[in-house]
Amino acid sequence: MELILANHGSYPRIGDDADGQLLRRAIAQREKSEKTDADVRAAEDRMTQLALGDQLEAGLEVVTDGQIRWYDPVSHLAGKLDGVTITGLLRFFDTNTYFRQPAVHDAIRRTKSLVVDEYLFARQKSSRPVKAVLTGPYTLAQLSIEAASRTNGGSGSGSAEGFARRFEGYTAALAEEVAALAQAGATMIQVDEPSILKHADDFPRFEQAVAALAARKGSAEFTLAVYFGDAAPLYDKLERLPVDVLGLDFTYSPSLVDRVAAGSAKKLALGLVDGRNTKLEDASVVAKELERIARASGLRQAYLTPSCGLEYLPRDRAQSKLRRLSTIKRTFSGSPA
Amino acid sequence: MSREKLRQLGIDLPLFPTTSVGSFPKPDYLAKARTDFARKKISRADLEAVERRATEFWIRKQEELDVDVLVDGEMYRGDMVAYFAEKLSGFEQGGLVRSYGNRYYHKPIITGEVHWTSPMTIDWWKYAQGLTARPVKGMLTGPYTVMDWSFNEHYPDRRATCLALAVPIRQEVEALIEAGAKIIQIDEPASSVRPEELALIIEAMHVVTDGLPAYFISHLCYGDFETIYPAMLDLPVDNFDMEFSNSQLDMLSLFRKHRYTKDISFGVVDVHSHLVEPEPVVEERLRRGLDVLPKEAIWVDPDCGLKTRTVDEAIGKMKALVNVAKAFRN
Repeated sequence: MELILANHGSYPRIGDDADGQLLRRAIAQREKSEKTDADVRAAEDRMTQLALGDQLEAGLEVVTDGQIRWYDPVSHLAGKLDGVTITGLLRFFDTNTYFRQPAVHDAIRRTKSLVVDEYLFARQKSSRPVKAVLTGPYTLAQLSIEAASRTNGGSGSGSAEGFARRFEGYTAALAEEVAALAQAGATMIQVDEPSILKHADDFPRFEQAVAALAARKGSAEFTLAVYFGDAAPLYDKLERLPVDVLGLDFTYSPSLVDRVAAGSAKKLALGLVDGRNTKLEDASVVAKELERIARASGLRQAYLTPSCGLEYLPRDRAQSKLRRLSTIKRTFSGSPA
Repeated sequence: MSREKLRQLGIDLPLFPTTSVGSFPKPDYLAKARTDFARKKISRADLEAVERRATEFWIRKQEELDVDVLVDGEMYRGDMVAYFAEKLSGFEQGGLVRSYGNRYYHKPIITGEVHWTSPMTIDWWKYAQGLTARPVKGMLTGPYTVMDWSFNEHYPDRRATCLALAVPIRQEVEALIEAGAKIIQIDEPASSVRPEELALIIEAMHVVTDGLPAYFISHLCYGDFETIYPAMLDLPVDNFDMEFSNSQLDMLSLFRKHRYTKDISFGVVDVHSHLVEPEPVVEERLRRGLDVLPKEAIWVDPDCGLKTRTVDEAIGKMKALVNVAKAFRN
């Protein structure tokens, strides 16, 4: 099995050294009117280049822009859509990071690109292929609320009809974004859908969204990434989805390696390196898991990735995790580590 | 309301007692001193002197505002988990990770057995309480949140980590009580992140509070409480301190479906907004709370710690909530 080393998505936008503080300082100074939007954009550009540099230096073969410009995985996309207002903070799954919750008050419409410019910038600055990453419509719909429900004293999650409306709105908007990315030349597009692992009974609806986005991918390789939960119970359904690659988080599931080793109809992105904890994986242990998967699954090629975005780690530890991917690949290939 | 318990502890509070969650913004002179200390320009003793000055500022300010139950303002803490990680054995300081937007914190790393080696908050509590006749809360971060907000390179799993942390935190609670604290807040803001672990949170809180003579508050915030309510009412504390303003009072609908049975510290101002809410806005929030909760059960405070606001914003928000609470008493 040929392993391709790939980043998952996000990357720390801060470090403890002076360079690593650049973006934080620029944003803080803008709040005091000491810096302009252009200054912050320049700092974002610089931090994006640093994130790309870390990935390339670690030997990754597929990189991302690190989502350095994203306020969070939800409002960065939803906030650019008509019909959506960004509101208060809510914890993002079981991470100790918070996103601003979108409130949908009108029909959702995409009137401008969401990440195309960010993708193009990264591609221009990278010597290796860049994967464009989006948070998927199902997750956006689950993490949004109906604006009207709060004024009605409701729970905030709103009615089933409201959910269906915003799900359809996000699906249409994200499908347009996938098409725009493909048109801009993206050869790899990843859609993150962690929410489906919390709502497995809603799979038929989820399937519609995946199909709608995948239909607009053009010739790009389309990855669906699920994480922050156990994918094993859903695995049979996930591998029947019309996607090119399935991205999996192995840190939540004791049985997922066994399930994958039993055979896979899909090319996989194997999230065997924990993107949430600083402890470095023993390369020989992970290599053995890869050998089990390779021996039994019949896969000829797979991506080796962190289990999720790396922004949950300090930057020095994120770098170490990237380097560990290379060590694991060398161990798996039988080369000296 | 657990007024009887408070009376037994010698504390008599008015209706709608006012308090704050724990942290206040650090005055500019303290922020500068912390930077100077980090750059080794001043000694720890120099920094501590400035921290004491800032603590006194906030104690005096809370008295001036007529707050009923005071806090020390956490002038000596950078972060609610990292502070304890620095005091307990078994931790290393980690690098910066994002909390939200442009806010970051040093996330600790558990690298060995965790032990209580010396008091972590007692001197500060004694200092703050010595400045005022009003009750000052003892404030700790709970074992589940310390576990969840730390990296773990030592214990085999989350349960083992959480229960190991509960032991030194109980030791600190015992030390606070020994020092004279009657109201102790044990923050568990991570409590809603994994609904399947609520039983663990409750088990660990029993380790921390069982059999101890204090009025216990637990601060919870910014989570999906639909997933753990009403089961969270089994947490062995007297009062939940919760954010309501940031979430537009969503929790009240849950309380309508299943009766809320503890005291509540009701967050009536949003700590993530620079806007100082006009008093009518605060009144409306409290009035909506009263539609669902008995007045005897309600304390009035901000959604969360005010450390991310400016000093003026924090004072403005506290002033608004105290004025509204007093008006409601009448």
